[in-house]
Amino acid sequence: MNIHPRFNYEQRIGQLKEEFDFDLVALALVQPAEQRFGLKWEYTSGNISNRYHRIVLQTGKGVAGNVFKTGKPFLAVTVDEIRMKADYFNYPIVVAEKLTSFGAIPLYKYNRVHGVLLVAFRDERQVTPELFEEFRNSVGPKFGPYYNKEMVKQ
Amino acid sequence: MMEIENFQLTNLLMKMYEKSAEAIFFFDDKQRVLAMNPSAENILDVDVIDKIIAGKRGAICLPCKGYTSEHEIRTCLTCYLMNPEEDFSSFQVYLETKGKGTIPYAASFETIDEAQGIRVFMLRDLTKQYQTEKMLNQKTMMKSVIKAQEDERKRISRELHDSVAQEMLSSLIDLRVLKYMNIGEEALKKIQQTEGSLLRLLDDIQHLSVELRPATLDDLGLEAAFRTHFKWMEKNYGLIVTFLSELSAQRYAEEIETVVYRVCQEAVLNALKYANTDVVNVKLYEEKGLLKLSVIDDGDGFSLNNYNPKGTGLGIYGMTERAELVEGQLSIQSEPGKGTIIELEIPLTMKLKINKEEEM
Repeated sequence: MNIHPRFNYEQRIGQLKEEFDFDLVALALVQPAEQRFGLKWEYTSGNISNRYHRIVLQTGKGVAGNVFKTGKPFLAVTVDEIRMKADYFNYPIVVAEKLTSFGAIPLYKYNRVHGVLLVAFRDERQVTPELFEEFRNSVGPKFGPYYNKEMVKQ
Repeated sequence: MMEIENFQLTNLLMKMYEKSAEAIFFFDDKQRVLAMNPSAENILDVDVIDKIIAGKRGAICLPCKGYTSEHEIRTCLTCYLMNPEEDFSSFQVYLETKGKGTIPYAASFETIDEAQGIRVFMLRDLTKQYQTEKMLNQKTMMKSVIKAQEDERKRISRELHDSVAQEMLSSLIDLRVLKYMNIGEEALKKIQQTEGSLLRLLDDIQHLSVELRPATLDDLGLEAAFRTHFKWMEKNYGLIVTFLSELSAQRYAEEIETVVYRVCQEAVLNALKYANTDVVNVKLYEEKGLLKLSVIDDGDGFSLNNYNPKGTGLGIYGMTERAELVEGQLSIQSEPGKGTIIELEIPLTMKLKINKEEEM
């Protein structure tokens, strides 16, 4: 399962959570071939339920699915807009973890999205564009075996 | 004997004239009303009645808004009143009535005394029959719309499953063969990635096909279709559905299976969307000639009498409509904070119940 055994995801996620005082930091990764390359929330810090563990995400649906499909960051300063949508239930992590504000970035490997990193709040605090930028800078260009910029020139 | 019978007959006729819900008018040869019964008086305005009593010619034309001919829905051409020689034994006429507006009546206008030109004009209120007919039409329409929708879904679902997905699978196999050919490391990596994308795409197509209409429902029946669906719900939304079925692979008419499947799907989806819970209990069983489905959650619940639908508000309506298609009944029990119970009962007449053996 460990694509990059030397990298401690758990630890890195915990660090990010502490640094920005996020309520939740979660990492979704593409599963290996035996699991048909599905996308799953694999590492989390600050979760209140284990519901997300059961979920295999579909591309194009939900937070991770969206980031995965578009390859672009996804920022929701408030989830009100998503809440209004008819497919609100397609964002199970927002529902199950009672998120109020979140941002998510794609993680690349071989020019493909291989993971999604999500940071979120559960109260009145907001992931503002400034904070989101700060967080992205903190993550830096590399996250374990992944990088978070599309098409890096070598 | 004959005299008593005659007397009885007169008596009966008088009673009918007095009590009948049909409005009865007697006209003389000059289109004047000779008499009308209480029902007739009830439907007409007072000033019209006054004019009729005053013996005005054509007083009946005041409330009359025309009759239905072959050419028009409401016409005054070749009026029944003026053309007694024509056959007006049964036709439809529109009258303006007291308090109810212009409504259609089934009418007959017949000569009962040729020598004196006495004719009787009888009206029967058609409103109720029309409503019944309208309801019937609506239901038939609804039924065909739902059937058309299901058929179309089935067609597209089959197409996706049988041809699109199959083609995709064979390309995938071709791609896998490539991996065993003499190719470079870089190309191999790329192929693996492509394989991943294709597999995900194949999964998406299969999801789409099942979402439209599960082939399992037609091939294997309710129980199997539900098991697949609930597994899918768990995988996609993390919702746990505990499913209890006592049907043991029993098959039912396609119509019934579709209704049960769709109602259950909607009910479970509603629980997922609005109940704020991650466990739903579904039970499917037969009892006293009824096929029963219950969907129970212990989530937020809602007030049945006074609730603001969070969604379109059409879900419950649609479920009730579908249940009615197979003469089933849908009951919803819910209270804020006390969860929701949705129950569906469908009567199983012999005609609709198909045993597996018979199918063979």
